[in-house]
Amino acid sequence: MNLVLRHDAIPDSPLARWDSRWKLAAFFLAVASVASLDHLAPAAAALGGGALLLVVARLPFRWVQLRLAAFTLASLPFLILLPFTVEADSTIGSIPVSERGLVSGLAVFCRCLAIGCCVLVLIGTAPMHVTFAAAHRLKIPGVFVLLALLAYRYAFLLFDETRRLRIALRVRGFRTTATRHGYRTLGHAIGAGLVRGADRSEHVAEAMTCRGFDGRFHTLLEFRSHLRDVVFFLLAAIGLASLVAWDRL
Amino acid sequence: MTPALRVSNLSHTYADGRRALEEVSFAVQPGECVAIVGPNGAGKTTLFLRLCGVLTGTPGQANVNGLDPADPAQRRKLPETVGVVFQNPDDQLFSPTVADDVAFGPLNLGASVAEAKSRAAEALNAVGLPDAGDRVPFQLSGGEKRRAALAGVLAMHPAILLLDEPSMFLDPRGRRELLGLIRELPGTKLIATHDLDLVLDLCSRVIVLDGGVLFADGPATALLADRELMDRHGLEVPQRLR
Repeated sequence: MNLVLRHDAIPDSPLARWDSRWKLAAFFLAVASVASLDHLAPAAAALGGGALLLVVARLPFRWVQLRLAAFTLASLPFLILLPFTVEADSTIGSIPVSERGLVSGLAVFCRCLAIGCCVLVLIGTAPMHVTFAAAHRLKIPGVFVLLALLAYRYAFLLFDETRRLRIALRVRGFRTTATRHGYRTLGHAIGAGLVRGADRSEHVAEAMTCRGFDGRFHTLLEFRSHLRDVVFFLLAAIGLASLVAWDRL
Repeated sequence: MTPALRVSNLSHTYADGRRALEEVSFAVQPGECVAIVGPNGAGKTTLFLRLCGVLTGTPGQANVNGLDPADPAQRRKLPETVGVVFQNPDDQLFSPTVADDVAFGPLNLGASVAEAKSRAAEALNAVGLPDAGDRVPFQLSGGEKRRAALAGVLAMHPAILLLDEPSMFLDPRGRRELLGLIRELPGTKLIATHDLDLVLDLCSRVIVLDGGVLFADGPATALLADRELMDRHGLEVPQRLR
């Protein structure tokens, strides 16, 4: 199971040592700034910056590759569709193509991947629970933080249960096929998963109540800012502001 | 002596009309270790959920260390008094690290971060997991999960412990270790279990519950050796008493 990096496997780097609150604030700023870029050159520069951060974070290549592939797959439709859906200004053979659409598609593609790089840097350089606790310190409501934490914690169990269910189906001769029986069985398996999930959430709620849970989020983590953290944040903010300014020129 | 826990004509009916407990009455003295035995669906877990205030009911039917779980104001104070270790530790270990989970209760009770950390360390030490604080609950073995769940409850310093099927999913070594651990725990203990050998090792008294009705309440060795009683309620006389 490797949804994200385990916190005992986080490679040491300046980004891993950066206070999670400042890092998260910089992340939000980066996502907002990159998403607002219109032109290809600044978007490509943002992608370059994101890739550089991945290198600085010293994240395992395969881990990055697999996850970045998912972002690539998600943004690929823009790159493929936009050249053919925006008003055409040239042709390839007899197919009308829009150069403007291609540039726009590339810009969207670069923006998506740049944001993907930032996401990977965020989740790869600090344990998730530290990032969630930092989010709470940044005034994200405790209920959202708790929901995210519980979802993260139980995602592992869900994957484990799905694996067990898959094995149980296979040992009884089930193979996924596009037949009525196949769809029905999958439907039943998904239904069983949902029922188990609901049952588990009820038990978790009971366990939390028994231990005095009152809806507030508490953590043992204590954050301490150093000058270095603020300087990193300011550098990131200046870099992002320059990128947005370049885009607007 | 004032009982640590008293249940008087306690009944519980679920929203779907299923009657889980019927006029159950008993009292447990401070420091006593009592087993609640019975087949599946006997109402053991429902009884525990009523005692810890998760399920609400009619006031006056239960008194836990002077608190009525059915009274909303008193119910809020229950976590300081009564600790519940649930059947499946995965339901109880919901925090991202073991230390966070063990400290969850003390923080909810208003302890400072330093105090919660110290209580968590103390509880983890007590259950034999002194170095597990930074581990992720998902990575623990079945026995370790059970002990971590117990630590989460012990960190709250409850006067009464309710243990629901504590030996479930444990291998013989895990079971043996847990048994030793429970034996050493101070306070009043109520253990719901099918593991009658565990009952013989830990409890002096047994309550037999079946279909929500209390059928017998008496010394462990006498009741567990009663073949007819055991058969009638879907239980078996433990090997040692045959």
